[in-house]
Amino acid sequence: MIQTTGLSKSFNGLEVLKSIDLRVAPKEIVVLLGPSGSGKSTLLRSLNGLEELDGGSLEVNGVRVEAGMPSKKKQAGFREIRRHTGMVFQQFNLYPHKTALGNVIESLMTVKKMKKAEAVQIGERLLDRVGLLVKKDEYPSRLSGGQQQRVAIARALAMEPAIMLFDEPTSALDPELVGEVLEVMRQLARDGMTMVIVTHEMKFARQVANRVVFMDGGVIVEEQEPEIFFQNPKSERSRKFINQLQEH
Amino acid sequence: MNLVWDNLPFLLKGAYYTLLVTVISMFFGLIIGLVVAIARLKGNRLIRGIARVYVSIIRGTPLLVQIFIVYYGLVDYGITLGPLTAAYVALSINVGAYLSETFRGAIQSIPKGQTEAAYATGMTGWMTMRRIILPQAARVAIAPMGNTFIGMLKETALVSAITVTELLRSAQLLIAQYYVYMPFFLGIAAMYWIMSTVFSAILNAVEKQLSRVY
Repeated sequence: MIQTTGLSKSFNGLEVLKSIDLRVAPKEIVVLLGPSGSGKSTLLRSLNGLEELDGGSLEVNGVRVEAGMPSKKKQAGFREIRRHTGMVFQQFNLYPHKTALGNVIESLMTVKKMKKAEAVQIGERLLDRVGLLVKKDEYPSRLSGGQQQRVAIARALAMEPAIMLFDEPTSALDPELVGEVLEVMRQLARDGMTMVIVTHEMKFARQVANRVVFMDGGVIVEEQEPEIFFQNPKSERSRKFINQLQEH
Repeated sequence: MNLVWDNLPFLLKGAYYTLLVTVISMFFGLIIGLVVAIARLKGNRLIRGIARVYVSIIRGTPLLVQIFIVYYGLVDYGITLGPLTAAYVALSINVGAYLSETFRGAIQSIPKGQTEAAYATGMTGWMTMRRIILPQAARVAIAPMGNTFIGMLKETALVSAITVTELLRSAQLLIAQYYVYMPFFLGIAAMYWIMSTVFSAILNAVEKQLSRVY
């Protein structure tokens, strides 16, 4: 479903991703872990081209993008990839000038050129799925963080993605609102969605992930089943990371 | 003051031209401003360069000089414009430069996450600009745009210099006829003031309406 080969990325000469080889199988749930600055968010964002790769190649849902391709071809490839991947951001990034429903149906109408009535039907079904149908006419500014993030998930699902990418989806939320978002994600997992998740919710990672990918310093240090990773990690750096988590 | 009342229809006609020049120039200025703002943000190096030079020249030279260049200067190249047309052209080009800066700032003030969210759902750059960025930027731009509009209303007095019979020139013509200055100047000052105030009020209402939406 996803395969990166030697994927590299630099910011101003600083290499933040060093030749990453990552594979994600259909219906697999992969959690990216690592200390801040380890490159996990950058890796996630390069999977749909929000960060453009500098080296290596990337194949998502059958669409291949190589670092050496001409810019136009790369952009077209990424746009194709984005049509089949949904992304959820730390800061929600809902469109403030559109209602909850408006947010969900926007790309159905612009990208998929769907008629409004048809898009509304899909939009309402998805808002219902995240438990927010009653809020469909509210603007984001009137929703709590947890509600905004659930609308953002519905917005991503509207495009019927084959893969969902989550970039620290609960990090900007008040603690009491984290649960409702994780619950929606659990439901997605049960429905068989392929998911790649950057998160600091260790309990969630442990329960939901099929595989944990631990990154540090721009490389993948360890890939492991969650139970093994959390109880008996192989590498020294993973062990240090887990110990630090347990200190507080 | 009776002289002003007696000649009010003539002055009102001048006020009408002042408004006409303001509204038409503002309309074309908005289009120019938007195109130039997007050119400066999204264009290639050449287009960005041209847009930057345009803004720099217009903002760095007096409006009166620009008006003279369009009305008198272009005649040397065989382009003869009527006074009113020349006024539209010069003022549109002028206000377009200022508005492009307003729009550019407004577009840049929209968080990058908005663009990323739109891209992530498969939108193209153009769709994102039209559906996500510009509607939000318009709200940011409305207040400074209103100021530009009011400023424009007053600056139209300059086109009296190329014989457009707007408000100021109407007064000058009456002065030439009656040989008294103060009543006419005070009269048109009051008329400018009323127009500015009314427009301010309208723009405030529009701004309130826009900010209530979300």
